[in-house]
Amino acid sequence: MKVKFFLFAIAAIGLCSVTTAFGQSYAITNARIVTVSGATIERGTVVVRDGLIESVGANVNAPADAKVFDGNGLTVYPGFFDTLSSLGLQPPQPRPAGTGQQATPEPTTSNYPVGFRPEDMAADSIRVGEDQFEAARNAGFTSILTVGRTGIFNGRSAIINLAGDAASAMVVKSPAAIHISFATIPGTYPGSLLGMFSATRQMFHDAKRHQELIKMYDADPRGIRRPPADRSLEALLPALDRTVPVVFNANTEIEIIRAIDFAKEFNLRLIIAGGQEAGKVIDRIKAADAAVLFSLNLPKRTTAASPDADPESLDLLRFRAEAPKAAGKLAAAGVKFAFQSGGMTNLTDFTASAGKAVEGGLNRDAAIRAMTLSGAEIFGINNRTGSIETGKIANLTVVRGDLFDKARTITHVFVDGKLFEPKAPPARPTGPGQGTGTGPGTATGLPAVAGNFSITIDIPGQALTGTMALVQQGPTLTGTLQTQLGTAQIREGKVTANGFEYATSVEFGGSAIDIFVRGKVAGNEISGTIDSPQGTVPFSGTRNP
Amino acid sequence: MKKILLSIFATLMVGLLPASLSAQTGDVLIKNATVMTATRGTLENTDILIRDGKISRIGRNLSAGANARVIDATGKYVTPGIIDAHSHTMMNAVNEGSLSVTSMTRIRDVLNPSDIAIYRGLAGGVTAALLLHGSANAIGGQSSSVKLKYGRPVEEYLIAGAPEGIKFAMGENPKRSSQTFTGGQTPRYPRTRMGVLEVMRDAFVRAQDYKRSWDDYRAKKTRVMPRRDMELEPIVEILEGKRLVHAHGYRSDEQLNLLQLAEEFGFKIGTLQHGLEAYKFAPEIAKHGAGVSIFVDSWSYKLEAYDSIPYNAYILWKNGVNVSINSDSNERMRRLNLDAAKVMKYGGVPEQDALKMITLNPAIQLGIGNRTGSIDLNKDADIVIWSEHPFSPYSHAEVTMIEGVVYFDRAGDIARRDAMAKEREALEKLEVNRAPGSGGTLPRIPTERLRGDIDHGDVDGGHR
Repeated sequence: MKVKFFLFAIAAIGLCSVTTAFGQSYAITNARIVTVSGATIERGTVVVRDGLIESVGANVNAPADAKVFDGNGLTVYPGFFDTLSSLGLQPPQPRPAGTGQQATPEPTTSNYPVGFRPEDMAADSIRVGEDQFEAARNAGFTSILTVGRTGIFNGRSAIINLAGDAASAMVVKSPAAIHISFATIPGTYPGSLLGMFSATRQMFHDAKRHQELIKMYDADPRGIRRPPADRSLEALLPALDRTVPVVFNANTEIEIIRAIDFAKEFNLRLIIAGGQEAGKVIDRIKAADAAVLFSLNLPKRTTAASPDADPESLDLLRFRAEAPKAAGKLAAAGVKFAFQSGGMTNLTDFTASAGKAVEGGLNRDAAIRAMTLSGAEIFGINNRTGSIETGKIANLTVVRGDLFDKARTITHVFVDGKLFEPKAPPARPTGPGQGTGTGPGTATGLPAVAGNFSITIDIPGQALTGTMALVQQGPTLTGTLQTQLGTAQIREGKVTANGFEYATSVEFGGSAIDIFVRGKVAGNEISGTIDSPQGTVPFSGTRNP
Repeated sequence: MKKILLSIFATLMVGLLPASLSAQTGDVLIKNATVMTATRGTLENTDILIRDGKISRIGRNLSAGANARVIDATGKYVTPGIIDAHSHTMMNAVNEGSLSVTSMTRIRDVLNPSDIAIYRGLAGGVTAALLLHGSANAIGGQSSSVKLKYGRPVEEYLIAGAPEGIKFAMGENPKRSSQTFTGGQTPRYPRTRMGVLEVMRDAFVRAQDYKRSWDDYRAKKTRVMPRRDMELEPIVEILEGKRLVHAHGYRSDEQLNLLQLAEEFGFKIGTLQHGLEAYKFAPEIAKHGAGVSIFVDSWSYKLEAYDSIPYNAYILWKNGVNVSINSDSNERMRRLNLDAAKVMKYGGVPEQDALKMITLNPAIQLGIGNRTGSIDLNKDADIVIWSEHPFSPYSHAEVTMIEGVVYFDRAGDIARRDAMAKEREALEKLEVNRAPGSGGTLPRIPTERLRGDIDHGDVDGGHR
């Protein structure tokens, strides 16, 4: 079996050289060209060859050997760059069932628990194959910054182009940044937000000392015990030197303030990811000289109306109303920012969401820049990508219609000069009892698990009731788990041959507790287990009509 | 006519409020109040002039400049702001429950200045609080002393110059008596009261070694800089008398053990928290010099909390112990004035000493008694104006100010409600705020609506 996979990998690498765009040349003529770095060309031609932009301009002629597209009625943009994503990564190893505080530590060379290892490299776990990015390319994306979402240290991210069959062909920059979340490590220290700060702070202090010890030892090793070869601490040294930025996932006002305070403590080059309440703390963000990866997964009420529930807080209502205005405020204040998808379920909503930011006061050009060049600038790759200029990487997205309108069509996407022509998305079946997204699931031979289920979690002596809302898109599972403890978003959800599994966090006693859910759906019945630091409990339930 | 005037007044108030909050650095004159000073008895028909956030004059017929805000307090009572010496309000996390020693954690890191419980505390006359780590560990995290400056940036809540503190805990919580273990989990050390004490002793010894390693390095006896240990640094500060220990505990025997442990290591315990059996060894507490912060009349909620009496505060007071009454709860924080009233009934603590138990005494326990906790000249103008005697169940706070700035104003609050209702109505109409037409997840249903038989003590946010 392993041999087979190996052969396949070899074959895939072999194929890759056959299908790459080298040699092939394309020209889009008569198109409107939004270069972003310079003036927009109302009617012109872009020529792509060998993965690069060969020429661009109003008076450029298509070369004789080029495949020519008539761009009449089309607009060419630099390829869209999603500045925070988890696409393309191997799913994290599911924790063995029944793990609690005594989870047997996996054999490791790290001094730190899983989830607390800044050395983890996204580039090391990129899956083979470009098909996995089809949905993203169809939405106009040519590049993403990808990194895991679990743990406190999510690892070191990679910026990749969404074409090519091996990581070596995809990676544009790695590591791009070190990523930190205000999260917890279930079942061990740090198991709360309090510990998240103290453990991370200790690690940065240790890294600073490590730096000095290495210097001392290099100067004269005699009489000094050699510093340990600590990969985690070594991964932090470029952050202390400010050569690699540190991205904090911080969406709310207080999270942003905490990220700024922490970065200041260790003089880190700060990037804020999320930033939907940035409008409240613009002055601090400016003073900290931080960039923002603004999440276009704009907040929207997802809970059903219920006479028993309290009214939503005014703060929450205001937050949803104000979030689309935040990007405009960032721009007005001169804060460097770029857009990211923020884990949105459907990437095709990205441009329409950017349109909401435009309605909220953001200049259209600034919005386009935030989808293209700004991200490249933030990560220092704007000399090779992010705009339509001769010699830059041929990442282009061609659009018919108003970019910010829901009805716009992505007609062509060039990634590293390779052409993709998005097909219209298949219509979604909406039969009775079928949630959205069941179609793609069944098409791939995976079970259909989507739906809204009333469940009972069998905690001994105190059954907990709730609702599990599962949204399936092929093998990807999103949705929510709602109980008395609140509503938890599904993370790393996937549909497997046997059912589904996902991770999520629930707030309990002031701490976020990470849980892992595994289950299956049979007709209108759902059942499975929930793994928490306190042990494993079964759950079961039925589909809501 | 009256109604029109009222609505004009209300509109003005709404318009003025944000501005008046921020621009309130000018003088404030409270006129003709019954002032309960907490140190020098009750002064009738007295004025208080506030300048630069401090109590600048106390007397009769005071006058202020033309720009001063004058508050007519005829028939009202004025007290110092209430200080809650055991609170977990405005904290996004309470316990780092993974380890038995979590001295490296800091409440400062998890403060949430937008917690609505802060505003509700202000409405109950609370102006300051000691925010403590939970009691899951023998040695918990570093505490924060804050003033409840709701609406201000988080760093402005911190009381500058207030001594640092740390939470300790003994008994059932750190030894985890009530925890059941499933799925092959093994219990955390310690599991007994003697184990808890040993964890503390061990931490002190490790801290002494740690300090020595730095002393040696600074004296150039060693070449390599020691590692900065965020766990032991605060424990060194305890040993050096620079960090106050606030120790959760119930039983007199183990709390006495803790006092002796502290004496062995040469420092003084700041406060015994809860101390339900403190009355049993009040002279020993007085001799050691620790404060005690108690619930006035709450007990029997777990085995180690049975042997208490409502005369606890009285007996401690009689023995010269500094006693404060705390809430440990966002809900009870709002009526600490009534808790203070109860110590007059049980044992007959004099009125001023009862008031002290929620004002000056906790201020002293937090190490801020020199700047707040009483109505005295040059102290911070942390002041509550009550509609009636604050020990009356019919009384409510009308104005709560911190350093001369009004953070709660009942009339202003009432006037704002219409505008807020209108704002809510408008916001709820927005697409983003509407419930999905079909599907959607169920919202959180408050526990008391799911269960008719619930004991509200279980849901009041207490962390006992």
